[in-house]
Amino acid sequence: MSEAQEDTGLVSKGLAAGKIGTFSGAVLGISSVAPGYTLTASIGLIVAAVGLKMPAILIAGFIPMFLTAYAYRELNARAPDCGASFTWSTKAFGPYIGWMCGWGMVIATIIVLSNLAAIAVEFLYLFIARVFNDPSIADLADNKAINIATTLAFIAVATLIASRGITTSERVQYVLVGFQMTVLIAFAIAAIVLVASGDAPAGVAFNLDWFNPFTGLALSAFVIGVTGSIFAFWGWDTCLTLGEESKDPKRVPGRAGLLCVLSILLTYLLVAVAVMMYAGIGIEGLGLGNEENADNVFGALADPVLGWAGPLLFLAVLASSVASLQTTFLPAARAMLAMGAYGAFPKLFASVSPRFLVPAFATVVAGVITGAFYTVVSLLSERVLLDTIAALGIMICWYYGITAFACVWYFRRELFHNVHNAVFKFLFPLLGGIMLALVFVISVQESMDPENGSGAAIGGIGLVFYMGFGILLLGAALMIIWRFRSPDFFEGRTLKTVDSLAGDTDISRDLSPMPD
Amino acid sequence: MKLIVGYLATPGGADAIALGVRLCRTLGAELGVSIILPPDRVVPSLVPVGGYDEHLAEQAERWLAQARALIPADVVAGTHVSFDDSYADGLIKEAARVQADLIVVGGSGGGLAGSYSLGSVVNELLHSSPVPVAVAPRGSRDRSTDRVHEVTCAIGERAGADLLLDTAVRFSRAAGTPLRLVSLVALDPMFGTLRGDEDAVRERALAHAQHTLETAKSNLPDDFPVTSTIVDGRTVEEAVSKLQWHDGDLIMVGSSRLSAPKRLFLGSTAAKMLRVLEVPMMVVPRDPFDAADLP
Repeated sequence: MSEAQEDTGLVSKGLAAGKIGTFSGAVLGISSVAPGYTLTASIGLIVAAVGLKMPAILIAGFIPMFLTAYAYRELNARAPDCGASFTWSTKAFGPYIGWMCGWGMVIATIIVLSNLAAIAVEFLYLFIARVFNDPSIADLADNKAINIATTLAFIAVATLIASRGITTSERVQYVLVGFQMTVLIAFAIAAIVLVASGDAPAGVAFNLDWFNPFTGLALSAFVIGVTGSIFAFWGWDTCLTLGEESKDPKRVPGRAGLLCVLSILLTYLLVAVAVMMYAGIGIEGLGLGNEENADNVFGALADPVLGWAGPLLFLAVLASSVASLQTTFLPAARAMLAMGAYGAFPKLFASVSPRFLVPAFATVVAGVITGAFYTVVSLLSERVLLDTIAALGIMICWYYGITAFACVWYFRRELFHNVHNAVFKFLFPLLGGIMLALVFVISVQESMDPENGSGAAIGGIGLVFYMGFGILLLGAALMIIWRFRSPDFFEGRTLKTVDSLAGDTDISRDLSPMPD
Repeated sequence: MKLIVGYLATPGGADAIALGVRLCRTLGAELGVSIILPPDRVVPSLVPVGGYDEHLAEQAERWLAQARALIPADVVAGTHVSFDDSYADGLIKEAARVQADLIVVGGSGGGLAGSYSLGSVVNELLHSSPVPVAVAPRGSRDRSTDRVHEVTCAIGERAGADLLLDTAVRFSRAAGTPLRLVSLVALDPMFGTLRGDEDAVRERALAHAQHTLETAKSNLPDDFPVTSTIVDGRTVEEAVSKLQWHDGDLIMVGSSRLSAPKRLFLGSTAAKMLRVLEVPMMVVPRDPFDAADLP
């Protein structure tokens, strides 16, 4: 496709190059992680699994995500495509693994959309309750019918906005990130000050052993904690994939990525340590181990720690989750669009709205599936937020892991041409991939035990297992059906399996979707 | 001479093509069909989303191929895809690039209130374009008319009317179509104006109509069919509805005094007419422009 355009000169691209510097790149990265939302969603799961070892687990989850991000960067630099993981793993490993990787990516975005909407609803009611000083309003979020109705309304509005091609502007992202980070750090500092003055309910003394993952942790607890932590770092690699948009493509993305990930890691560690010192991990009252608070730690701690400023934390999380809900429809739709364009999904998914110029069909499908998924899960589960995050961790391990290995295999003929390749195309992705694969296998095993999730089970097997491994099996079944109905993709007629050097020579033909 | 159609693969886009073809045949002009795409912004998201521009451009090429099929073989046509953050701005740049004399867009149903409001793109164009803009009414694509048969020029007394008259005369002469000059008289006094009596208002309008007719005649060959009428009504909408319209009509209006120099700015009277008329409307800038004025 790009070949035809360049030859005839029919397309002129007015991309404004040289816009993004290190700082704005880092802000974009932080904004895609949405730390306010992420911490709320994952602290409960991590504490439930590993207690006071939360800082160690955050670092343990950070490492494979950090290593795998380089696979993304290298692949994106060589073969940018809106199919991302799907396209790359198909090129490296062929259509079947590629399809399953794409499926994992689509499902991960669907699960996170449902979780984002649920958190937004939770904090909307908390915020309204605080503003009107009426605690009974906050309880509305626990009423299943009201909760589902409000969540579906949020999803519907976000779908409508996304399908009309309206996106959040960069300026709005800046303001949101600034607001979130300020409130989070203020929250952490306030908690530590209260501990120092002896006003904290638990007042646990700081201990360096919290950072040591090698003592006092069972493997199963470790792995479950890591799935939550992997989720917490999901998305920061966005700023590594900034290419031609950045001021200095050689330096800016790397520096922005580092700045972004260090700010996030430090914020997470600071908040984790602060809430543990303040509230402890007891199972009563404000303790982080209290099941009542597990899926909404900030909801319980905002008022005691911040006092009159508590609603600001609610507002920060609400804004962060609503903005992410909005922006996450885009990758969800684009992943389906790419799969549709290459014939891995029905062709309709690749259609672009002639008026709004966005993949409207894929967007609406993403919205409908998200709504259906949330409704089913919240009827089955006792704590939807906890279970969805656990399932999400599994799904991220699956498709990130495949992508990491795809990087190694795709570049297999040039891995040792120089030091850069050996480190970023071989060593980092390989280690990251192995870690993610291990976490995937163990966490799927562990998810069969209902006690490792919210306790919800079907036939004695944990709900999280069905949402993680079960959905992958469903994908495999759909893949087989689609393979017989439309074999083009699976017989390599739309997207060929190549390696990097072969890909260089005929990349334009190789990237083009199948002819109509 | 060259015309640029701002195209979208929607019914409105087909309307614009139909009007573009009609104008090209009338004027012997060349047609350029242009799609403006929004460049993919860096949207922070959990999954890398590069490569969408290519997909969109490729889809646009397919749309343009379909658009080409709508254009009869006797009209010379080319297509172009470009990227711009603003559709209107991209179209104006494209018009400047090919030195087009006119931009054609489909006007109907673009806004939130259906046919009673314009789409945001058409609205922006009508308030900023340096070249005349023609707006195709809804359903132009279904009309069998193949050329413009008569040009109606709604002409007022304010500054800029001369240029409008001049453009209309040039258009009529180039196209060989009859010219009808119209003065609209809204009798409903506006707040803050003197309540003149209706006869005096009508008297003045008649004198004005006579004057414009003479100016037009002096610029046209002796036997060129020019007519001049005044229509009145309580409102502009009512007055304009009293006129007889046929297939193949085209109405020309000028720009408001609010316009930036050498730019269009749709005036309130023209906007009211656009709302009730089902006739292609061409809005021309207030000052003459030349190639150097293009962005």
